[in-house]
Amino acid sequence: MPGITVQSFNSYPQMVNMALTVQSDRNTVQAPENRNDDWSALLTRVGAERDRAAFERLFRHFAPLIKGFHHSRNTQVLCAEAADELVQEVMFRVWRRAPSFDSRKASASTWIYTIMRNCRIDLLRRNSRHQGADNDIDVDDIWDESADDQPLVFLQQRRNERDVTEGLRSLPADQSHVLKKAYMEGKSHSEISAELGLPLGTVKSRVRLALKKLQASLGKPV
Amino acid sequence: MIRHHPDNDILLEYSAGTLPWAVSLAVSAHLQLCPQCRQQHQQHNHLGGELLDDSDPQQVSSDALQHLMARIDSSDERPEPAGKPQEQPPKVRCSDPALRRLPRIVRKLVDDNWPLRWNRVSPALKMSRLQSGQDHYEVAFHRICRGGKTAEHDHRGQEVVLVLYGSFSDADGVYAPGDFLVREPGEVHRPIATQDRECLCLSVVEAPVAVTGLLGWLVNPFLSFKPG
Repeated sequence: MPGITVQSFNSYPQMVNMALTVQSDRNTVQAPENRNDDWSALLTRVGAERDRAAFERLFRHFAPLIKGFHHSRNTQVLCAEAADELVQEVMFRVWRRAPSFDSRKASASTWIYTIMRNCRIDLLRRNSRHQGADNDIDVDDIWDESADDQPLVFLQQRRNERDVTEGLRSLPADQSHVLKKAYMEGKSHSEISAELGLPLGTVKSRVRLALKKLQASLGKPV
Repeated sequence: MIRHHPDNDILLEYSAGTLPWAVSLAVSAHLQLCPQCRQQHQQHNHLGGELLDDSDPQQVSSDALQHLMARIDSSDERPEPAGKPQEQPPKVRCSDPALRRLPRIVRKLVDDNWPLRWNRVSPALKMSRLQSGQDHYEVAFHRICRGGKTAEHDHRGQEVVLVLYGSFSDADGVYAPGDFLVREPGEVHRPIATQDRECLCLSVVEAPVAVTGLLGWLVNPFLSFKPG
């Protein structure tokens, strides 16, 4: 596969202008009370104290990642202008919603990912003909991440997260490639199959194999 | 007990935000009823978070932060409250038992489309089309009366069905509240509601369906496809 290798999963991006260092062993944390990564701690502080310095550090770290997420080597998912608009909107919502961030429930990265995804759906919808459509359902009604406020569920989630993190780094290139296309380029399975010239069944089976490895601990058959 | 779930492809596309709007609506309603799939969805979100972590950083313009802080300063709204998004009391208080306990997103859909207009499709089947803010799928409630039999039909496009109240069966099995079914184009089926109560389903259909039975065109609920 051109451009994307397993290697890219193993190289953490450089920290940008950061005084902090992110601890690499955050996945070993078990207790739901503390999430051992500094981004989550910073985000908690932004929520609780409306700490602007902490927010600026988050911005300097996450804004370039949000932009990078939508800019893979082969294709540009959003034009530069739209990507900048997305960054502004995502980080604005991060500031506004930080009080509802709960580090027992998700890491800062995961939480920001869900906000980013919803913003992107919003952005794409605003550009379609449903602009100003006469209905009240919005993105956050459908992609509502507020369920499951149960400590027991948090614990299970943390175990699952650890599996996902470890599994992601050991996936074969062809499998991580389709996952990246699905998430980072916002492509449906059939779009991926058309682009790579692979049968839809092959794309689906690569996704399935990848997920199977990532979800080894889940009871649900894949 | 929920026995039929969206498959991994659907859950992954939902988490990635690439699943069509109307299908996502049905998945969202299922997730509100199904802890098992919620857990899987959280994992997919976490995968998204990991991929965000691993992205190659792209430089943002030097005044982006300044710009944002100015926007924050000029927005006089207070930060959004912690916890769940404000739970609004349902606008609709109806005596209809089938509509009494619905997943949050479906209740919102009902509120937005109130009063529901039910069209009688056949003696056993009523349908109410719902505006959901998209134009590629038809979103509707279907309700089958107790023990009612619908016409045998197949689909030219994909159909997603979420059982909300009561249960129905077809040649493949019995489906209860929370069950999420995907019918591929060409699959013929004939839903029959169970005898104990009527059955309410949310259906999301990609394209008009064709009725296969004799005189089927008289009772095809999807003869006129109306996305919305």
